[in-house]
Amino acid sequence: MEKETDLVKENSCKTIIFNALLKKNPILAGGMVVAPVVITVDSFPRALTLAAAFSVITFFTLLISSFVPKSIVYTVRIIMYAFIGALVYVPASIMLEYFMPDEINEMGIFFPLLIINSFIISRSEAIFFLESKGKMLLDIIFCIIGYDAAVILYGLIREIIGSGTFCGEIIGIPAVFSVFSEPAGGFLLLGIMAALLRVILLTVKKVRQK
Amino acid sequence: MEVIKNIILTAFTSVIIENTIFSRALGTSTLIIVAKNRKNLFGFGLSVTYITAVVSVLTYFVQKIFRFDDNAYIYIPLVYILILGTVYILTLLCLWRFAVSLFVKIRKYIHVSAFNCAVLGSMLMISKYCETFTDYLVNGIGMGIGFILAVYMIAVIYDRIYSEKAPYAFRGYPLMMICIGILSMAFWGFSGHTLNY
Repeated sequence: MEKETDLVKENSCKTIIFNALLKKNPILAGGMVVAPVVITVDSFPRALTLAAAFSVITFFTLLISSFVPKSIVYTVRIIMYAFIGALVYVPASIMLEYFMPDEINEMGIFFPLLIINSFIISRSEAIFFLESKGKMLLDIIFCIIGYDAAVILYGLIREIIGSGTFCGEIIGIPAVFSVFSEPAGGFLLLGIMAALLRVILLTVKKVRQK
Repeated sequence: MEVIKNIILTAFTSVIIENTIFSRALGTSTLIIVAKNRKNLFGFGLSVTYITAVVSVLTYFVQKIFRFDDNAYIYIPLVYILILGTVYILTLLCLWRFAVSLFVKIRKYIHVSAFNCAVLGSMLMISKYCETFTDYLVNGIGMGIGFILAVYMIAVIYDRIYSEKAPYAFRGYPLMMICIGILSMAFWGFSGHTLNY
Protein backbone atom coordinates (compact mmCIF):
# COMPACT_ATOMS: atom_id res chain seq x y z
CA MET A 1 0.00 0.00 0.00
CA GLU A 2 2.83 2.30 0.99
CA LYS A 3 4.68 1.43 -2.20
CA GLU A 4 1.59 2.26 -4.28
CA THR A 5 1.29 5.65 -2.59
CA ASP A 6 4.93 6.30 -3.34
CA LEU A 7 4.37 5.39 -6.98
CA VAL A 8 1.42 7.77 -7.24
CA LYS A 9 3.53 10.49 -5.60
CA GLU A 10 6.39 9.78 -8.04
CA ASN A 11 3.95 10.00 -10.94
CA SER A 12 2.38 13.39 -10.18
CA CYS A 13 3.26 15.96 -12.86
CA LYS A 14 5.00 18.38 -10.47
CA THR A 15 7.14 15.58 -9.05
CA ILE A 16 8.02 14.31 -12.51
CA ILE A 17 9.20 17.80 -13.54
CA PHE A 18 11.07 18.45 -10.28
CA ASN A 19 12.77 15.05 -10.42
CA ALA A 20 13.69 15.36 -14.08
CA LEU A 21 15.14 18.85 -13.75
CA LEU A 22 16.82 18.68 -10.36
CA LYS A 23 16.46 15.75 -7.97
CA LYS A 24 17.16 13.06 -10.54
CA ASN A 25 18.95 15.20 -13.12
CA PRO A 26 20.39 12.68 -15.61
CA ILE A 27 23.94 14.03 -15.53
CA LEU A 28 24.31 15.74 -12.13
CA ALA A 29 22.46 13.17 -10.06
CA GLY A 30 22.20 10.05 -12.21
CA GLY A 31 25.66 9.97 -13.77
CA MET A 32 24.25 9.22 -17.20
CA VAL A 33 25.83 10.10 -20.57
CA VAL A 34 29.03 11.24 -18.88
CA ALA A 35 31.54 10.45 -21.66
CA PRO A 36 30.48 13.07 -24.26
CA VAL A 37 30.22 15.73 -21.54
CA VAL A 38 33.65 15.12 -20.03
CA ILE A 39 35.48 14.74 -23.35
CA THR A 40 33.76 17.12 -25.77
CA VAL A 41 32.17 19.86 -23.68
CA ASP A 42 35.07 22.18 -22.90
CA SER A 43 33.35 25.34 -24.13
CA PHE A 44 29.94 26.97 -24.31
CA PRO A 45 29.42 26.43 -28.09
CA ARG A 46 30.35 22.75 -27.74
CA ALA A 47 27.89 22.42 -24.88
CA LEU A 48 25.16 23.77 -27.17
CA THR A 49 26.14 21.27 -29.86
CA LEU A 50 26.00 18.32 -27.45
CA ALA A 51 22.69 19.54 -26.04
CA ALA A 52 21.19 19.72 -29.54
CA ALA A 53 22.55 16.33 -30.60
CA PHE A 54 21.50 14.64 -27.37
CA SER A 55 18.01 16.16 -27.46
CA VAL A 56 17.26 15.11 -31.03
CA ILE A 57 18.64 11.56 -30.79
CA THR A 58 17.32 10.79 -27.31
CA PHE A 59 13.82 12.23 -27.76
CA PHE A 60 13.03 10.42 -31.01
CA THR A 61 14.70 7.18 -29.91
CA LEU A 62 12.69 7.08 -26.69
CA LEU A 63 9.51 8.09 -28.47
CA ILE A 64 9.81 5.23 -30.95
CA SER A 65 11.09 2.82 -28.27
CA SER A 66 7.92 3.42 -26.24
CA PHE A 67 6.04 1.39 -28.87
CA VAL A 68 8.23 -1.67 -28.27
CA PRO A 69 5.91 -4.09 -26.44
CA LYS A 70 6.89 -5.28 -22.99
CA SER A 71 5.99 -8.85 -24.03
CA ILE A 72 9.21 -9.07 -26.04
CA VAL A 73 12.00 -10.57 -23.93
CA TYR A 74 14.50 -8.11 -22.47
CA THR A 75 17.38 -9.73 -24.41
CA VAL A 76 15.73 -8.74 -27.68
CA ARG A 77 14.26 -5.47 -26.39
CA ILE A 78 17.67 -4.04 -25.59
CA ILE A 79 18.89 -4.78 -29.13
CA MET A 80 15.77 -3.08 -30.46
CA TYR A 81 16.44 0.08 -28.43
CA ALA A 82 20.00 0.25 -29.77
CA PHE A 83 18.79 -0.44 -33.29
CA ILE A 84 16.14 2.30 -33.06
CA GLY A 85 18.83 4.67 -31.79
CA ALA A 86 21.02 3.83 -34.79
CA LEU A 87 18.08 4.35 -37.15
CA VAL A 88 17.25 7.72 -35.61
CA TYR A 89 20.92 8.67 -35.92
CA VAL A 90 20.75 8.59 -39.75
CA PRO A 91 18.29 11.50 -40.27
CA ALA A 92 19.55 13.22 -37.11
CA SER A 93 23.14 13.30 -38.35
CA ILE A 94 22.05 14.57 -41.78
CA MET A 95 19.93 17.32 -40.19
CA LEU A 96 22.46 18.40 -37.56
CA GLU A 97 25.32 18.40 -40.05
CA TYR A 98 23.27 20.70 -42.25
CA PHE A 99 22.85 23.24 -39.45
CA MET A 100 26.18 22.88 -37.58
CA PRO A 101 28.66 20.94 -39.75
CA ASP A 102 31.89 21.99 -38.00
CA GLU A 103 30.54 21.59 -34.49
CA ILE A 104 29.19 18.09 -35.16
CA ASN A 105 32.46 17.13 -36.82
CA GLU A 106 34.35 18.29 -33.71
CA MET A 107 32.35 15.85 -31.58
CA GLY A 108 34.02 12.95 -33.42
CA ILE A 109 33.02 9.49 -32.19
CA PHE A 110 31.00 10.95 -29.33
CA PHE A 111 28.19 11.97 -31.67
CA PRO A 112 27.35 8.45 -32.94
CA LEU A 113 28.00 7.19 -29.41
CA LEU A 114 24.82 8.97 -28.28
CA ILE A 115 22.70 6.25 -29.90
CA ILE A 116 23.55 3.80 -27.13
CA ASN A 117 23.65 6.21 -24.20
CA SER A 118 22.76 4.97 -20.74
CA PHE A 119 19.82 7.40 -20.48
CA ILE A 120 18.05 5.78 -23.45
CA ILE A 121 18.62 2.28 -22.07
CA SER A 122 17.38 3.14 -18.56
CA ARG A 123 14.44 5.33 -19.65
CA SER A 124 13.21 2.86 -22.28
CA GLU A 125 12.62 0.40 -19.45
CA ALA A 126 11.42 2.94 -16.87
CA ILE A 127 8.61 4.23 -19.09
CA PHE A 128 6.79 0.92 -18.70
CA PHE A 129 6.13 1.89 -15.10
CA LEU A 130 4.61 5.29 -15.84
CA GLU A 131 0.85 5.62 -15.98
CA SER A 132 0.28 7.19 -19.37
CA LYS A 133 1.99 8.23 -22.59
CA GLY A 134 1.43 11.88 -21.62
CA LYS A 135 3.37 11.48 -18.38
CA MET A 136 6.01 9.50 -20.20
CA LEU A 137 6.43 12.36 -22.69
CA LEU A 138 6.55 14.89 -19.87
CA ASP A 139 9.21 12.85 -18.11
CA ILE A 140 11.34 12.47 -21.24
CA ILE A 141 11.06 16.15 -22.25
CA PHE A 142 11.97 17.49 -18.82
CA CYS A 143 14.79 14.97 -18.35
CA ILE A 144 16.24 16.15 -21.67
CA ILE A 145 15.79 19.81 -20.65
CA GLY A 146 17.45 19.04 -17.29
CA TYR A 147 20.37 17.35 -19.02
CA ASP A 148 20.75 20.15 -21.57
CA ALA A 149 20.63 22.88 -18.93
CA ALA A 150 23.26 21.12 -16.82
CA VAL A 151 25.51 20.56 -19.85
CA ILE A 152 25.24 24.20 -20.95
CA LEU A 153 26.08 25.46 -17.46
CA TYR A 154 28.94 22.96 -17.28
CA GLY A 155 30.32 24.09 -20.66
CA LEU A 156 30.07 27.73 -19.63
CA ILE A 157 31.92 27.22 -16.33
CA ARG A 158 34.51 24.92 -17.91
CA GLU A 159 35.30 27.39 -20.67
CA ILE A 160 35.68 30.27 -18.23
CA ILE A 161 37.92 28.50 -15.71
CA GLY A 162 39.71 26.22 -18.19
CA SER A 163 40.46 28.64 -21.02
CA GLY A 164 39.58 32.06 -19.63
CA THR A 165 37.23 32.70 -22.53
CA PHE A 166 33.53 32.97 -23.27
CA CYS A 167 32.48 31.76 -26.73
CA GLY A 168 36.12 32.05 -27.78
CA GLU A 169 36.49 35.68 -26.59
CA ILE A 170 39.10 36.34 -23.87
CA ILE A 171 37.36 37.71 -20.77
CA GLY A 172 40.50 38.43 -18.76
CA ILE A 173 40.01 36.45 -15.57
CA PRO A 174 43.09 36.52 -13.27
CA ALA A 175 43.75 32.74 -13.17
CA VAL A 176 43.13 30.01 -15.75
CA PHE A 177 43.34 26.32 -14.80
CA SER A 178 44.05 24.49 -18.03
CA VAL A 179 43.50 21.10 -16.34
CA PHE A 180 39.77 21.80 -16.55
CA SER A 181 39.98 21.60 -20.34
CA GLU A 182 41.32 18.02 -20.01
CA PRO A 183 39.22 14.92 -19.20
CA ALA A 184 40.63 14.87 -15.64
CA GLY A 185 39.37 18.38 -14.98
CA GLY A 186 36.09 17.48 -16.66
CA PHE A 187 35.49 14.72 -14.11
CA LEU A 188 36.48 17.01 -11.23
CA LEU A 189 34.13 19.77 -12.35
CA LEU A 190 31.29 17.29 -12.82
CA GLY A 191 31.83 15.99 -9.27
CA ILE A 192 31.85 19.50 -7.82
CA MET A 193 28.69 20.49 -9.72
CA ALA A 194 26.93 17.31 -8.58
CA ALA A 195 27.85 18.13 -4.98
CA LEU A 196 26.59 21.71 -5.41
CA LEU A 197 23.26 20.44 -6.71
CA ARG A 198 22.92 18.32 -3.57
CA VAL A 199 23.62 21.34 -1.37
CA ILE A 200 20.96 23.33 -3.26
CA LEU A 201 18.41 20.51 -2.95
CA LEU A 202 19.16 20.14 0.75
CA THR A 203 18.77 23.89 1.31
CA VAL A 204 15.45 23.91 -0.58
CA LYS A 205 14.25 20.98 1.54
CA LYS A 206 15.20 22.75 4.78
CA VAL A 207 13.50 25.98 3.71
CA ARG A 208 10.32 24.08 2.80
CA GLN A 209 10.32 22.28 6.16
CA LYS A 210 10.64 25.59 8.01
CA MET B 1 60.94 -8.68 -32.95
CA GLU B 2 59.52 -5.47 -34.40
CA VAL B 3 56.04 -7.01 -34.45
CA ILE B 4 56.24 -8.01 -30.77
CA LYS B 5 57.49 -4.54 -29.85
CA ASN B 6 54.56 -2.97 -31.71
CA ILE B 7 52.06 -5.30 -30.03
CA ILE B 8 53.43 -4.46 -26.56
CA LEU B 9 53.38 -0.72 -27.31
CA THR B 10 49.83 -0.87 -28.70
CA ALA B 11 48.65 -2.89 -25.70
CA PHE B 12 50.29 -0.49 -23.23
CA THR B 13 48.77 2.48 -25.02
CA SER B 14 45.25 1.05 -25.08
CA VAL B 15 45.31 -0.21 -21.47
CA ILE B 16 47.14 2.67 -19.75
CA ILE B 17 47.74 5.80 -21.84
CA GLU B 18 44.39 5.78 -23.61
CA ASN B 19 42.51 4.00 -20.83
CA THR B 20 38.84 3.45 -21.66
CA ILE B 21 37.62 5.30 -18.55
CA PHE B 22 40.41 7.59 -17.35
CA SER B 23 41.44 8.99 -20.73
CA ARG B 24 38.36 8.54 -22.93
CA ALA B 25 35.59 8.42 -20.30
CA LEU B 26 33.96 5.63 -22.32
CA GLY B 27 31.64 3.53 -20.18
CA THR B 28 31.73 5.79 -17.11
CA SER B 29 27.99 5.34 -16.57
CA THR B 30 28.45 1.56 -16.78
CA LEU B 31 31.27 1.79 -14.24
CA ILE B 32 28.95 3.60 -11.81
CA ILE B 33 26.43 0.74 -12.09
CA VAL B 34 28.98 -2.07 -11.99
CA ALA B 35 31.09 -0.75 -9.10
CA LYS B 36 27.99 -1.02 -6.88
CA ASN B 37 27.68 -4.77 -7.38
CA ARG B 38 31.16 -6.07 -6.72
CA LYS B 39 30.25 -9.75 -6.80
CA ASN B 40 30.55 -10.15 -10.56
CA LEU B 41 33.24 -7.58 -11.26
CA PHE B 42 35.73 -9.97 -12.81
CA GLY B 43 33.10 -11.82 -14.79
CA PHE B 44 31.67 -8.54 -16.03
CA GLY B 45 35.11 -7.24 -16.99
CA LEU B 46 35.89 -10.48 -18.82
CA SER B 47 32.63 -10.34 -20.76
CA VAL B 48 33.36 -6.72 -21.78
CA THR B 49 36.87 -7.76 -22.91
CA TYR B 50 35.48 -10.74 -24.81
CA ILE B 51 32.89 -8.60 -26.57
CA THR B 52 35.33 -5.78 -27.44
CA ALA B 53 37.81 -8.35 -28.78
CA VAL B 54 35.25 -10.16 -30.95
CA VAL B 55 33.59 -7.01 -32.27
CA SER B 56 36.92 -5.36 -33.08
CA VAL B 57 37.87 -8.34 -35.25
CA LEU B 58 34.52 -8.09 -37.03
CA THR B 59 34.91 -4.31 -37.30
CA TYR B 60 38.17 -4.86 -39.18
CA PHE B 61 36.38 -6.82 -41.93
CA VAL B 62 33.38 -4.47 -42.03
CA GLN B 63 35.67 -1.45 -42.26
CA LYS B 64 37.37 -3.00 -45.30
CA ILE B 65 34.02 -3.14 -47.09
CA PHE B 66 32.86 0.38 -46.27
CA ARG B 67 36.11 2.36 -46.18
CA PHE B 68 35.72 3.75 -49.72
CA ASP B 69 32.23 5.14 -49.13
CA ASP B 70 32.42 8.79 -48.06
CA ASN B 71 28.93 8.67 -46.58
CA ALA B 72 29.57 5.53 -44.56
CA TYR B 73 29.78 7.55 -41.32
CA ILE B 74 26.01 8.10 -41.53
CA TYR B 75 25.00 4.45 -41.49
CA ILE B 76 28.08 2.75 -40.01
CA PRO B 77 26.71 2.96 -36.40
CA LEU B 78 23.71 0.95 -37.64
CA VAL B 79 26.08 -1.71 -39.01
CA TYR B 80 28.00 -1.75 -35.72
CA ILE B 81 24.80 -2.18 -33.72
CA LEU B 82 23.87 -5.12 -35.94
CA ILE B 83 27.32 -6.66 -35.33
CA LEU B 84 26.97 -6.07 -31.60
CA GLY B 85 23.47 -7.54 -31.53
CA THR B 86 24.57 -10.60 -33.50
CA VAL B 87 27.58 -11.24 -31.23
CA TYR B 88 25.35 -10.77 -28.17
CA ILE B 89 22.68 -13.21 -29.38
CA LEU B 90 25.19 -15.81 -30.65
CA THR B 91 27.13 -15.68 -27.37
CA LEU B 92 23.94 -16.21 -25.37
CA LEU B 93 22.87 -19.07 -27.65
CA CYS B 94 26.27 -20.77 -27.45
CA LEU B 95 26.33 -20.48 -23.67
CA TRP B 96 22.76 -21.73 -23.40
CA ARG B 97 23.63 -24.73 -25.58
CA PHE B 98 27.07 -25.65 -24.24
CA ALA B 99 27.53 -24.08 -20.79
CA VAL B 100 24.18 -23.73 -19.04
CA SER B 101 25.64 -22.89 -15.61
CA LEU B 102 27.73 -20.07 -17.09
CA PHE B 103 24.67 -18.90 -19.09
CA VAL B 104 22.62 -18.62 -15.90
CA LYS B 105 25.42 -16.67 -14.21
CA ILE B 106 26.22 -14.34 -17.07
CA ARG B 107 22.75 -13.52 -18.43
CA LYS B 108 22.11 -11.11 -15.54
CA TYR B 109 24.75 -8.69 -16.73
CA ILE B 110 25.79 -9.58 -20.28
CA HIS B 111 23.36 -7.04 -21.77
CA VAL B 112 25.09 -4.27 -19.78
CA SER B 113 28.50 -5.49 -20.88
CA ALA B 114 27.47 -5.61 -24.56
CA PHE B 115 25.40 -2.46 -24.96
CA ASN B 116 27.47 0.27 -23.41
CA CYS B 117 29.57 3.22 -24.54
CA ALA B 118 32.82 1.35 -23.84
CA VAL B 119 32.07 -1.33 -26.44
CA LEU B 120 30.53 0.88 -29.16
CA GLY B 121 33.15 3.54 -28.40
CA SER B 122 35.96 1.02 -28.87
CA MET B 123 34.47 -0.03 -32.23
CA LEU B 124 34.26 3.59 -33.38
CA MET B 125 37.73 4.47 -32.08
CA ILE B 126 39.42 1.41 -33.51
CA SER B 127 37.86 1.88 -36.94
CA LYS B 128 39.07 5.49 -36.93
CA TYR B 129 42.66 5.04 -35.79
CA CYS B 130 43.76 1.44 -36.48
CA GLU B 131 45.17 0.06 -39.72
CA THR B 132 46.22 -3.59 -39.41
CA PHE B 133 44.37 -6.64 -38.14
CA THR B 134 46.79 -6.94 -35.19
CA ASP B 135 46.08 -3.30 -34.23
CA TYR B 136 42.34 -3.98 -34.24
CA LEU B 137 42.66 -7.12 -32.13
CA VAL B 138 45.22 -5.80 -29.62
CA ASN B 139 43.31 -2.54 -29.17
CA GLY B 140 40.04 -4.42 -28.74
CA ILE B 141 41.49 -6.62 -25.99
CA GLY B 142 43.45 -3.70 -24.51
CA MET B 143 40.37 -1.50 -24.19
CA GLY B 144 38.54 -4.30 -22.38
CA ILE B 145 41.47 -4.85 -19.99
CA GLY B 146 41.72 -1.08 -19.46
CA PHE B 147 38.04 -1.10 -18.50
CA ILE B 148 38.62 -3.95 -15.99
CA LEU B 149 41.56 -2.03 -14.50
CA ALA B 150 39.45 1.12 -14.07
CA VAL B 151 36.49 -0.75 -12.58
CA TYR B 152 38.78 -2.52 -10.08
CA MET B 153 40.43 0.74 -9.02
CA ILE B 154 37.05 2.33 -8.34
CA ALA B 155 35.66 -0.82 -6.67
CA VAL B 156 38.56 -0.77 -4.19
CA ILE B 157 37.65 2.72 -2.96
CA TYR B 158 33.89 2.24 -3.34
CA ASP B 159 33.25 1.79 0.41
CA ARG B 160 35.09 5.00 1.24
CA ILE B 161 33.21 6.91 -1.45
CA TYR B 162 29.88 5.87 0.07
CA SER B 163 31.11 6.04 3.66
CA GLU B 164 29.13 7.96 6.30
CA LYS B 165 32.35 9.83 7.03
CA ALA B 166 32.23 11.54 3.62
CA PRO B 167 30.35 14.87 3.66
CA TYR B 168 26.76 14.35 2.52
CA ALA B 169 27.10 16.68 -0.49
CA PHE B 170 30.03 14.68 -1.85
CA ARG B 171 29.00 11.17 -0.76
CA GLY B 172 28.59 8.69 -3.59
CA TYR B 173 28.42 9.91 -7.18
CA PRO B 174 30.12 13.36 -6.76
CA LEU B 175 33.05 11.83 -4.88
CA MET B 176 33.29 9.03 -7.44
CA MET B 177 33.65 11.62 -10.23
CA ILE B 178 36.32 13.45 -8.24
CA CYS B 179 38.21 10.17 -7.62
CA ILE B 180 38.00 9.28 -11.34
CA GLY B 181 39.27 12.81 -12.07
CA ILE B 182 42.27 12.38 -9.78
CA LEU B 183 43.05 8.93 -11.24
CA SER B 184 42.58 10.38 -14.70
CA MET B 185 45.21 13.02 -13.87
CA ALA B 186 47.61 10.26 -12.82
CA PHE B 187 46.99 8.34 -16.05
CA TRP B 188 47.37 11.57 -18.01
CA GLY B 189 50.95 11.69 -16.71
CA PHE B 190 51.76 8.55 -18.74
CA SER B 191 51.38 10.53 -21.96
CA GLY B 192 54.20 12.83 -20.83
CA HIS B 193 54.37 16.28 -19.35
CA THR B 194 57.24 18.70 -19.90
CA LEU B 195 57.99 21.67 -17.69
CA ASN B 196 59.69 24.74 -19.10
CA TYR B 197 62.89 25.70 -17.28
